[in-house]
Amino acid sequence: MSAATGAPAPAPAPGAAPGAAASAPGLVATVVRLKLSLLRNGLRQSSGRRAAYVASAVLTLLFAALLLLGLIALRGHAHAVSLVVLLVTVFGLGWAVMPLFFPSGDETLDPTRLVMLPLRPLPLVRALLVASLVGIGPLLTLLMLAGSVVSVAHGAAAWTVGVFAVALALLVCVALARAVAAANIRLLSSRKGRDLAVLSGLVIAVGVQLVNFGVQRLGTSGLGELDPTAAVLRWLPPASAVGAVDSVSDGHYGVAAAQLAVSAAALALLVTAWARSMTRLMTSPDGSTLQAAEPSAQKRRGRAGPAARLLPGGRTGTVMERSLRYVWRDPKTKAAWVTSLAIGLIVPVFNALQGTGSVYFACFAAGMLGIQMYNQFGQDTSAFWMVAMTISSTRDAYDELRARALALLLITLPYATSVTVLTTALLGDWAKLPEVLGLSLALLGAMLATGAWTSARFPYSIPQEGYKNVAPGQAGLAWIAVFGGMVSAALLCAPVIAVTVWLNVSEGGDAWTWLLLPAGAVYGAGVTLLGLRLAAPRTAARLPEILTAVSKG
Amino acid sequence: MTSVRVRNLWKRFGQQVAVAGIDLDLPSGKFIGLVGPNGAGKTTTLSMVTGLLRPDQGSVEVVGHDVWRDPVEVKARIGVLPEGLRLFERLSGRELLSYSGRLRGLPGAEVDKRATQLLDVLDLAGAQHKLVVDYSTGMRKKIGLAAALLHNPEVLFLDEPFEGVDPVSAQIIRGVLERYTASGATVVFSSHVMELVESLCDWVAVMAAGRIRAQGTLEEVRGAAPSLQRAFLELVGAQGRDTGSDLDWLGGAGR
Repeated sequence: MSAATGAPAPAPAPGAAPGAAASAPGLVATVVRLKLSLLRNGLRQSSGRRAAYVASAVLTLLFAALLLLGLIALRGHAHAVSLVVLLVTVFGLGWAVMPLFFPSGDETLDPTRLVMLPLRPLPLVRALLVASLVGIGPLLTLLMLAGSVVSVAHGAAAWTVGVFAVALALLVCVALARAVAAANIRLLSSRKGRDLAVLSGLVIAVGVQLVNFGVQRLGTSGLGELDPTAAVLRWLPPASAVGAVDSVSDGHYGVAAAQLAVSAAALALLVTAWARSMTRLMTSPDGSTLQAAEPSAQKRRGRAGPAARLLPGGRTGTVMERSLRYVWRDPKTKAAWVTSLAIGLIVPVFNALQGTGSVYFACFAAGMLGIQMYNQFGQDTSAFWMVAMTISSTRDAYDELRARALALLLITLPYATSVTVLTTALLGDWAKLPEVLGLSLALLGAMLATGAWTSARFPYSIPQEGYKNVAPGQAGLAWIAVFGGMVSAALLCAPVIAVTVWLNVSEGGDAWTWLLLPAGAVYGAGVTLLGLRLAAPRTAARLPEILTAVSKG
Repeated sequence: MTSVRVRNLWKRFGQQVAVAGIDLDLPSGKFIGLVGPNGAGKTTTLSMVTGLLRPDQGSVEVVGHDVWRDPVEVKARIGVLPEGLRLFERLSGRELLSYSGRLRGLPGAEVDKRATQLLDVLDLAGAQHKLVVDYSTGMRKKIGLAAALLHNPEVLFLDEPFEGVDPVSAQIIRGVLERYTASGATVVFSSHVMELVESLCDWVAVMAAGRIRAQGTLEEVRGAAPSLQRAFLELVGAQGRDTGSDLDWLGGAGR
């Protein structure tokens, strides 16, 4: 490349970047424009997306307004500062975590996309930082921070520091998100990292439960509960900036200066770390082309070997082995299983622990796990072609479906039984154990039967990345399959439920309720076999249609 | 002897006609290239021929059996490597072969023996315990080829087997395929790289805009043209499209 010619080009000329101090504001404007265009083009793609964006924007603004009002109302409250610091910390955490979960949410977040441009890291850092301030998220944060300052600022000095604190805290939040994103871009562009991201949805679900628990405790014991936590948090950036406002209000100017310094130092540190990882990213190969470290082959073989030998031969064992491996190795399948297992356990057991439960809640475990039989071929993704190439008769399809049901039963049967026994033990209602177990088995059978049939009749794609479990345009299909299937499963169980009710209300019927265990087991097995028989010809006849349906996204 | 016989095959996707009534007679024991520009309908045709996509109209016979009426006879005799479809990527290379072979009903010991040999020949032995999801494009094509060959099919259908493959892997794939056709088996593969088709195939079908423009031996299709590339450009009517005049600023001293 020849040296820059010095022409007054509006865009930085090749090779002119080192001395491009004059073009820095131009770069900022360009990146901000880029961000706006990305946003606009994203919305232009579909009206559904536009509607979703507008709706979420309105909701966010509404939430921001309420938050602002609430914070202003909090002004003068003795423990206001405790709540405010906690709130700012939570927002800060949110900013740190967000890029991990929505890596593709903001394309300007990904510096590897800018790698081909002749830009130096520092001007780029400045430009990207400013661009980050554009959006709904920063607006919400800005309003929250403003509200926080209003609720704790007393006196002219505090207000002055407050203005400064808002800007500082906002920049810390944004820089935090950018630094985390840059530091993790390699992780996010590697397979292992994306797998983790899919699973980490569960962490969020658990986190929400914890927050819920915390809020409930606050509701009973008041805001004073927060004070010890807040004493620590007010020194943690970005909350320390708001903590400084409170310190000024109380006249502790030295403390305030220290707190502001902590936030400012954090900002400087984050920007430096970000610039450094960006330089590294832009000068080293893309993580997605690097090969991820593998656990040793020996270990993997050892894990699968003996278990595989216990499975039956032929298609049945082969398919079971693959299904079970996927439960462990495929992040989507794993997440679905963990969710089902957790909810199937939590609902009956927690209800029993609170003393409000009924033994019949134990059927929840069977029901939740039975859902895994739904959309079997969608779980294969377009790799279903490998299955389709080997199914040439109804018999093959039957073997395939039966093997998948068996793999599922291998986990479900012991699990549902243990949950039922555990729930019964917690409630001490041992007399009801046989009938609940019988009901569980009947329900499981009905779920497997309807699951097999809907798998053949209403297959849909499960996108392999991100959080969505349905490809765009197939939501209706998925809804019909799962909801319709569950309703039919409940209807299929009706005879067993009717007998249970009848035995319970009729005189002397209690002596016979033990019969429901074998009856439920036989009924469940029968319904499953019938469902598989009905699903097999549909599967065999619809192979190309199923493949098309599961290959989207 | 005809290994694949296609009559009046049609496929539409909404308004778009992907395959517009094609007839094909592919001889057996040959290395056959299906060539055409992107979007010519090659993948759609191969999907319909292998039973992965239902045609709107028309019939397909492979080794004398109708693909749609007699899948039992056909599916055991063909091997497929589609383009744009996944493999079971959360299995390791060896597990994928083991799964695929056993699914086709081969005895376990035989599957393991063949898998070991295929992994060796395709230079995948070192990565056999790695998950396929961590494989490179070339490795994926090779493991897909191994899975397609495992049951020793009579006809092998490969959709763009050399696309995105490094030269070393391409040479390995080529060697395996040449050895395979030398034993009397048929390979049908699609490609838009003419030089490759010209150096590999003895029989060529040229496809453009959903139709077959020419089919026959390489010499017949090439005709008087100096290369298959030229013959192809003439056939699809892309000859003489001059791009030179509009980009006169490109290159030269005007920098």
